[in-house]
Amino acid sequence: MLYNEPSPLETRVLSRRFGKPNSASIDTYLADDGYKAFLKASKMKPEEIIEEVKASNLRGRGGAGFPTGMKWSFVPRNSPKPKYIVVNADESEPGTCKDRLLMEYDPHQLIEGILIAGLSVDAHAGYIYVRGEYRYLIEILDKALAEAYQKGWLGKNIQGTGFDFELYTHTGAGAYECGEESALLESLEGKRGVPRIRPPFPAVVGAFQCPTILNNVETYCAVPAIIRDGGKAFADLGVPKAGGTKLTCLTGHINKPGVYELPLGFPVLKLIEEVGGGIRNGKKLKAFIPGGSSCPILTAAECEGATMDYDSMASRKSMLGSGGVVVMDEDTCMVKAALRIMRFYAHESCGWCIPCREGTAWLRKLLTRFHQGMGTRTDIDLIGDVSRNMLGRTFCPLGDAAALPTISIVEKFRQEFEDHLDGKPCPFEHARHMVTV
Amino acid sequence: MADPVKLTIDGREIHAAPGTLVIDAAKQNGIEVPAFCYYEGLTLQAACRMCLVEIEKTPKLQTACTVPVAEGMVVRTETPQVATARKYMLEFLLTNHPLDCPVCDKGGECELQDMTFRYGVGESRFTEEKVHTPEKQFSPVVFFDAPRCILCYRCVRVCDEGLGVKALGVINRGVVSEIAPNHGDHLECDECGACIDICPVGALTSGAYRYQTRPWEMTHVGTICTHCADGCKTTLGTRNDRILRGNNRDRSGVNGEFLCIKGRYGFDFYDHPERLQAPLLRVNGKLEEVSWAQALNAVAQKFNQTLADGGTFGVIGSNHTSNEENFYLQKFAREVLRTNHIDHHRTGDVVTLLDALSGKEGKLATVADLYERKAFLVLGADLALEHPLLSYQIRANYRHHQAHIYVVTPGAVREDHYSTVSLRGRDYASLRDKLKAESELVVLFDDSYKGDDVRKLVEFGESLGIPVKYIALVDYSNSRGAVDMGVAPELLPGYKPSGQPGMHYGEMRDANLGALWVVGANPLKNGAQRKAGFLVVQDMFLTETAQQADVVLPAASAYEKNGTVTNATGEVQRLKRGINTMGAKPDLEIMGFIAREMGAAAALGPWTPDAVFEQIRKNVRGYQVPLPVLMTGGAAQTMPVNGRIPVESRPDLVHSDHNGLFASGTLGRYSKVLNSVMESRLRR
Amino acid sequence: MAEKIDILGAAGAIAKGLGVTFKEMMSPTVTENYPDEPPKFEERFRGSHILQRDENGMEKCVACFLCAAACPADCIYIEAAENTETTRISGGERYAKVYNIDYNRCIFCGYCVEACPTDAITHGHGFELASYNTSTLIKRKEDMLAPVPPGAHAPVIAAEEAAAH
Repeated sequence: MLYNEPSPLETRVLSRRFGKPNSASIDTYLADDGYKAFLKASKMKPEEIIEEVKASNLRGRGGAGFPTGMKWSFVPRNSPKPKYIVVNADESEPGTCKDRLLMEYDPHQLIEGILIAGLSVDAHAGYIYVRGEYRYLIEILDKALAEAYQKGWLGKNIQGTGFDFELYTHTGAGAYECGEESALLESLEGKRGVPRIRPPFPAVVGAFQCPTILNNVETYCAVPAIIRDGGKAFADLGVPKAGGTKLTCLTGHINKPGVYELPLGFPVLKLIEEVGGGIRNGKKLKAFIPGGSSCPILTAAECEGATMDYDSMASRKSMLGSGGVVVMDEDTCMVKAALRIMRFYAHESCGWCIPCREGTAWLRKLLTRFHQGMGTRTDIDLIGDVSRNMLGRTFCPLGDAAALPTISIVEKFRQEFEDHLDGKPCPFEHARHMVTV
Repeated sequence: MADPVKLTIDGREIHAAPGTLVIDAAKQNGIEVPAFCYYEGLTLQAACRMCLVEIEKTPKLQTACTVPVAEGMVVRTETPQVATARKYMLEFLLTNHPLDCPVCDKGGECELQDMTFRYGVGESRFTEEKVHTPEKQFSPVVFFDAPRCILCYRCVRVCDEGLGVKALGVINRGVVSEIAPNHGDHLECDECGACIDICPVGALTSGAYRYQTRPWEMTHVGTICTHCADGCKTTLGTRNDRILRGNNRDRSGVNGEFLCIKGRYGFDFYDHPERLQAPLLRVNGKLEEVSWAQALNAVAQKFNQTLADGGTFGVIGSNHTSNEENFYLQKFAREVLRTNHIDHHRTGDVVTLLDALSGKEGKLATVADLYERKAFLVLGADLALEHPLLSYQIRANYRHHQAHIYVVTPGAVREDHYSTVSLRGRDYASLRDKLKAESELVVLFDDSYKGDDVRKLVEFGESLGIPVKYIALVDYSNSRGAVDMGVAPELLPGYKPSGQPGMHYGEMRDANLGALWVVGANPLKNGAQRKAGFLVVQDMFLTETAQQADVVLPAASAYEKNGTVTNATGEVQRLKRGINTMGAKPDLEIMGFIAREMGAAAALGPWTPDAVFEQIRKNVRGYQVPLPVLMTGGAAQTMPVNGRIPVESRPDLVHSDHNGLFASGTLGRYSKVLNSVMESRLRR
Repeated sequence: MAEKIDILGAAGAIAKGLGVTFKEMMSPTVTENYPDEPPKFEERFRGSHILQRDENGMEKCVACFLCAAACPADCIYIEAAENTETTRISGGERYAKVYNIDYNRCIFCGYCVEACPTDAITHGHGFELASYNTSTLIKRKEDMLAPVPPGAHAPVIAAEEAAAH
């Protein structure tokens, strides 16, 4: 059973097997062009694979949007150390729920993507680092791995190509911070999940001090299609600078929430109105988070003409992020939204660096007090100030992720903060649907 | 070394070695970049974000502690942007930091206080409730006050990297992250207190020092630890003739800031309730307190009488007393008491090593060598327990320079974790090929290698064809000095043969001597009965030997006198008087008074430490050490002999006590701290 | 004539002088009858010190030594000790086991009061410090402590004293 009905507006490349009976089984996968891309890649030179990925304009789907082909080309090919492929399946960004579907419904697509990545840098071992809360996925993945081993798509001399690859699953303990690539590696190595100093980047010094390719689940899942149909075909699905499709997780006050695979450059309003079936109860749009809670929030006005791609969002000083769209209607209290977001980051801050550890906790307390009507006029500026003091000064992007939405909310919805002053109750307390990021 | 890199910091052109971090390059040129988590020698953390600086061509502020210098780099450390970043970083830090400076032990020497003064804002905008957790006691010597902690992870790193113990970690996350000990609610570690010393704030506090006083109220006296033979400088914080703490934050000694539990806390024997503070004289079979004049008179009379009667004297010296005391004692014995029956408890075969190295220069390793040389062969000893400083130096060398360590010991040792090869047993010869491939080597061996073993070892070392240095490990603070000063029946100061070897330690104990004079030793500790007709003991405590004495003279500890001591690596360092304990006198003064009472003082010369050290400088080879080095608290290595030592070496007398971290001979028994930590019961 | 003028002048001068006298006789007296009557003080008079207690009767002094550090005459001597579960003397973790002020040296400058972070030391109005024996001029903590405020629970000294006996 799928979580949501597919939309006719979708371009189903990665999700094309979603909804098929037994879609997670290797037989279904093999019957539907499965592992053909791997066989094709095994006959290609590693540089050709990377060129093909570069040609696809595939950019990392985890949030930062770094060009994948470029990342792979950074791995020092002549290093005497073993190389590793690590999959970031620590999908924890509030509003994002795409990787779990990719793993639940089509684990073999992921395995094939990993194998191709392995071919491209001559890696022979890989780890799928699954979020602690996704424990049920471990069973599905382990079953898929067992099938792949059994049918000779993993292990020694895969399908006679002479390529060996061992793949393991690893579960985190439920820390958002472990979605940051270097913290993920620390956690994978059995240490406390705190980020590492970079440079060196994981491509050079990654898991177990060895060169490592580390990408999001969705990124790997896009690779088989790229190799199978050619990088250009994939690139043509999207906009010039960002190729392909993107799984968009539509959440919030929307009639048809769910995961939809849409080409990059899909208009935001069309996404809300046509894919999502409009806002619940016929309310008006107030705010829009394009890619998970760490992106600066957009007002309804800013959504006009915006499209779901990296450049359009950047021009509106936001980010495409991981594709976790949160739609908020006119009844949403933005102070509470800011508080809810900050509660998440204060809870998830790893405690490593001072501005993030102290800043998020301070803002959480401050916003809590403010939302309860005990704020003062100077607090409004203080919220922005404290956020800006975190911005760009933290060890890892978590501090920025907490600061950016807060700053944008204070700047764009200042009036709502003013409305909470002087002991007045939250003006939206009457509204039934509170934001549920 | 590669060509220096040229960069600009604050408009000044600076040259720095490639790979230098910007923060260090700035510091070397007198530009302060504030930091909490950055600590020289430990891994980088970049967590405190205090060292953010502006680097041209990078959009964001960069941490100076992680960026290495680059050619043409332009760094600015004093721009408004940087000042703002520092200001608000401190504001963040102080949000949950309690402002209890008046009661905090760190107040006055707190880095957070200093930084807030210098870079911080006067007022905080934080009006929320602070996170509070009650104070915890990790061990008798380590207390932890979590709210004060700024999570710089220095303690975690120094324990893991510096000590190799890994006793501290971090639990929870976010604002409630907390330093936690390895056993949940308590520590099981070396109890060295390095975590307390390295803590920039008052989060980790010392069980011995807490709430005693404030840093500026103390007088700080840099002297040498009196426990093991490594010769660590310990800076005693004293007030009103009481030692309140020991540390070495100024890194002025051979040990840098390293100290083990003994150096940091083990001074507390000095005010043990059983400390002797008045001379005791046996009257009617019982020891009674008498005046110094009475006691000295009794000793002098008896000594003179024994001399007149032609009786024999035996003298047992100490491996705790200073070089001056040892020199004066042997001179007293040989010139006034006219005896060669003088000895001390030998804990390492230094004599054979020096003899075997005859004719060779630069063969004795220093403490600094252990950090600088490229390969080490550790024979027999469990360095981490018995010679913590030497172990620390080798560990730091391994971390910073990837030194190769070869371990041949009877049991598992801490060095195994990072050794190139670890063997159990004694078969170091099997390492020949590997050692030959090294460019240089330092060999450390304990008392399980003595006599011919040492000669064979030196032969082996010299056959490797690489520069090899040696360290004969000994037990106590001046074991090496005692033999250098000729407190041995067969040797005069400077390893000259005495001609007629007298009785050794055990023989004297069991012989029917006319008079036995024991200075800072405990020959009867195993329940032996005294045989000597007259027994004089100089000691701090009523030891088993003192209990059988006719006269007991209360001696001052090393912290209560001036002088010099020589550590296991042959480095001479100066003892500096920190306090006075009423009633006790330095051994040198006691000996001088006895000489004066006997009417023999003129022959022995003045008994002030400086005057006796002048005599040592004139008479003992190798001790012509530069005085300015000693006087300023430095260490100077001696090579007291370079030629054959034509005496029968007595390896059979060499016997180490193998005191671990929580034991220190007699002194250890009277140290409350050493006995209060649970590890002392676990590992004894 | 000249004499007349002299007499008148003298009488006038006397009248003027006595006028002042009579005027002042009517105004309140400024001179204090110390020692027959207690002297009056301005509020901010800096007399001998008082070590204050808080509303629970705990000593306010936490033995931070800042008064001793601030003292230009070096007349304050403190020994600190730690409050324990059974013995709680001050509100902080630490209290002054010994607190002496040497009034031979004190110059009543008030720096100690300024330095005190807990408002524990204040200047009282005491000034009768004269003595034939300088050793009596060293005041101990007990000499300077303010009385326990009425109704407050006294510090838990009794428990410790009982335990000691």
